[in-house]
Amino acid sequence: MSSIIELKNICKSFGDTEVLHNIDLSIQEGEVIVVIGPSGSGKSTLIRCINCLEMISSGELVVDGIRIPDERGRTRQIRLEVGMVFQQFNLFPHMTALGNVAFGPSKARKMNKTKAVDIARDLLAKVGLAEFENKFPGQLSGGQQQRVAIARALAVNPKVLLFDEPTSALDPEMIGEVLDVMKNIAKDSGMTMVVVTHEMGFAAQVGDRLIFMDEGRIVEEGKPSEVMKNPKSERLKDFLGHVKHH
Amino acid sequence: MDFEFSVITESLPALLTGARLTWIITILGIVGGMFFGVLAGLGRIAGTEALGEEPHGIFKPISVVIRYISSGYVETIRGTPIIVQAMFLYFAFPMLVKALTDIQRFRIEALTAAVITIIFNAGAYIAEIVRGSVISVNKGLLEAGMSLGISRFQLIVHIIGPIAFRRMIPPLGNQFIISLKDTSLFIVIGVGELTRQGQEIMASNFRALEIWLTVAIMYLIMTTVLAMSLRQLEKKMKIF
Ligand SMILES: Nc1ncnc2c1ncn2[C@@H]1O[C@H](COP(=O)(O)OP(=O)(O)O)[C@@H](O)[C@H]1O
Ligand SMILES: [Mg+2]
Repeated sequence: MSSIIELKNICKSFGDTEVLHNIDLSIQEGEVIVVIGPSGSGKSTLIRCINCLEMISSGELVVDGIRIPDERGRTRQIRLEVGMVFQQFNLFPHMTALGNVAFGPSKARKMNKTKAVDIARDLLAKVGLAEFENKFPGQLSGGQQQRVAIARALAVNPKVLLFDEPTSALDPEMIGEVLDVMKNIAKDSGMTMVVVTHEMGFAAQVGDRLIFMDEGRIVEEGKPSEVMKNPKSERLKDFLGHVKHH
Repeated sequence: MDFEFSVITESLPALLTGARLTWIITILGIVGGMFFGVLAGLGRIAGTEALGEEPHGIFKPISVVIRYISSGYVETIRGTPIIVQAMFLYFAFPMLVKALTDIQRFRIEALTAAVITIIFNAGAYIAEIVRGSVISVNKGLLEAGMSLGISRFQLIVHIIGPIAFRRMIPPLGNQFIISLKDTSLFIVIGVGELTRQGQEIMASNFRALEIWLTVAIMYLIMTTVLAMSLRQLEKKMKIF
């Protein structure tokens, strides 16, 4: 196995405030990484650096062979290979579910309309929303919207998928349907996934590696079951205690 | 008070000619104003996160220049009365050309001056409408678009454009109506639009009530047509 993403001594600052400090992380192809940590610890910033939604302040990032900052002009290629799913879904409100999913293949991958729509239909079926293809985002529940958003990210056929708290904005009864879709992707497609979530069940079930972040640093990492069973730091013990109570 | 209906029927042809000219100036103003408005509106936020992500390298200074030019245009037009703009273009600009170049027979037709003035005037206000709508587009949607690997051009055309346009319609309707009414100010440079026609008939027959009532109704009909077309457009895009 080779590493598809490499973060070498990465720092990220907003203005004068450094929020990521000297992060080193190497992610293998097909690996499912779960990132946990308290609010404000830098989880979102970390994964947003991977697809260059945030530009790293120092260090080096290598994604699928593309080096940042040296090859800054190639961020679009990185994004073609690294999809993202957001907490707030961010579906395009002026397009149907089908339109949302077909958009990437037709515009980013420049496929012809028919082919893009075929791909979109397949993916909507895969996430269990075949009969909703003509609905607009405003007509769908949160869980349905997030499943469309996952299909949209998959449609450009990326090598990596990033998830930023994909179930945090959902009503409890809809979390399961979204996690199920994510589990299927992890198991069936061998997709490389980096998932920020507090769903510890998901982490234990499909995570290959669990990363605990605090104050802009990776504090602990390892096999999810082991890290959860034997947290070494006080901060992680604390954090796991909080998560379990919710 | 005597109200002579025949005064209206007699003056109708002249007033309709004026109304036709008002309508033509307005439509040209709206079309041209939209063109410059979109350019300057996007220009004012060139290179900012409102249009995707900040550029790097050579595009950074270029975007700064574009922002300055666009802002200069918008602020100059907004900061001066349209009547002064029309007078400047019609009377002062030809003198400036004569003084600064070898061209000694330069003049601008009143109608041309009116059309140019209304285009640039509407453009400046439309620029602000465009800018306001674009910066109000949820940033998450831009990030979702960028994450798919589309170009900035595609982002603007397929994501920002349609969403912002939907929000522009009410203020645009407002601006179109203002521009239509502003054409009446071109009376000062002698354009034979509706107000001017009314004024001329008035000067010959002194029938103020009949003439100005008719003129007012004609304006009202034209503004209503504008308002209703925009309302139709808004309904069509109601889905989100
Ligand atoms: N665009 C930004 N500008 C300034 N500060 C930011 C920005 N984004 C995040 N931060 C700060 O960076 C830190 C980490 O944020 P974030 O990565 O969102 O944490 P998490 O996702 O773990 O809650 C926080 O202190 C946050 O306030
Ligand atoms: Mg976050």
